[in-house]
Amino acid sequence: MKDPYEILGIAKTASAEEIRTAYRKLAKKLHPDLNPGDKQAEERFKEVAGANDLLSDQEKRRRFDAGEIDASGAERAPPNARYYRDYAAEGGHPYEGQSAYGDFAQGDDLFAELLRRSAEQARRRPGADLHYELPIDFLDAVNGATNTITLPQGGTLDVTIPAGVEDGQTLRLRGKGAPSPGEGQPGDALVQIVVKPHRYFTREGADILLDLPISVKEAALGAEVRTPTTTGSVMLKIPKRSNTGDMLRLRGKGVKTRGRTGDELVKLKVMMPTEVEPELDAFLADWKPAGTYDPRKEM
Amino acid sequence: MITEREFLERARLDSRTLSVWIEEEWLIPARAADELAFTDMDLARANLIRDLKDNMGVNHEGLGIVLHLLDQMHALRRALAAALESAHDRRPSPD
Repeated sequence: MKDPYEILGIAKTASAEEIRTAYRKLAKKLHPDLNPGDKQAEERFKEVAGANDLLSDQEKRRRFDAGEIDASGAERAPPNARYYRDYAAEGGHPYEGQSAYGDFAQGDDLFAELLRRSAEQARRRPGADLHYELPIDFLDAVNGATNTITLPQGGTLDVTIPAGVEDGQTLRLRGKGAPSPGEGQPGDALVQIVVKPHRYFTREGADILLDLPISVKEAALGAEVRTPTTTGSVMLKIPKRSNTGDMLRLRGKGVKTRGRTGDELVKLKVMMPTEVEPELDAFLADWKPAGTYDPRKEM
Repeated sequence: MITEREFLERARLDSRTLSVWIEEEWLIPARAADELAFTDMDLARANLIRDLKDNMGVNHEGLGIVLHLLDQMHALRRALAAALESAHDRRPSPD
């Protein structure tokens, strides 16, 4: 680690004003944006800025002089992550100046042709793509919908959500991005879909999964029960002696994707009544099973 | 894209200073849906303007000149790079 006094080229006894003057003089010479072709300018500028940070702070300077901290203790994060020169090296931005070579571009030689072409390219450069995130309801993702995004910079954007869109998928809205800095096409809006979870549906590929609670009586005797699907309720026939975990399939009631239309897979869940049922208790107390069924025989 | 609020925070500017800088065309943000939209380049340029003003003592009048010359230098550097590249492509092959 170099000595900060040495870096700034000043004496240990330099006054605050002398430090400031020395720093300014070096900064003007070394600032990366004033030296776009010099790769080392950035390193040297950081060194100088670090030395100035240390010595322009009375307390830090005192501690450094007293040997309490070393020069690295005062090294700060780079003032800019990227310098202006890193962006200005590319064309097609609003700060571009062409007047500097306007006279060269008039001729009909190779160089003039090149300058005209590069100016033309810059003028036609498209606008930037803008990224958005759009949370949508589970059912809108399955069935499709039209949604409106309120843009952070104000205004709104209408998004048509195709049926069967998946969580994390990105929709590209052509021409809805940033305007071109010149006369090119505007960029695109890229909308990433975030599907909110549903209260009782989940999705697996093109299939919809549903846990359907049924009563003990419906499970034992069979029944037709109203079952929600993503497009409304249907009547589902529960076979006699159904069990928790049994899977019933509602064909074509899944997600319409490009490849196929999925099914809704209904998993039954037998529920004991939560209220007191004296008759059921009495019946079960007296009930002598005819068979030898043991639900734990595998254990 | 950076919103105006985020830009003010990241560039450590107040909104009055920002409107002066835009007025002077030191910064030229895009306008999307009637609001200002900034790029990373605008942010880097704002940092440069602050460095020039605060650390190098460039005054208000001088700043516009410095930026204008800097932008012309970048355009020239690009033009020169394109010309060199093209001259390279047209160089006859050794055989």
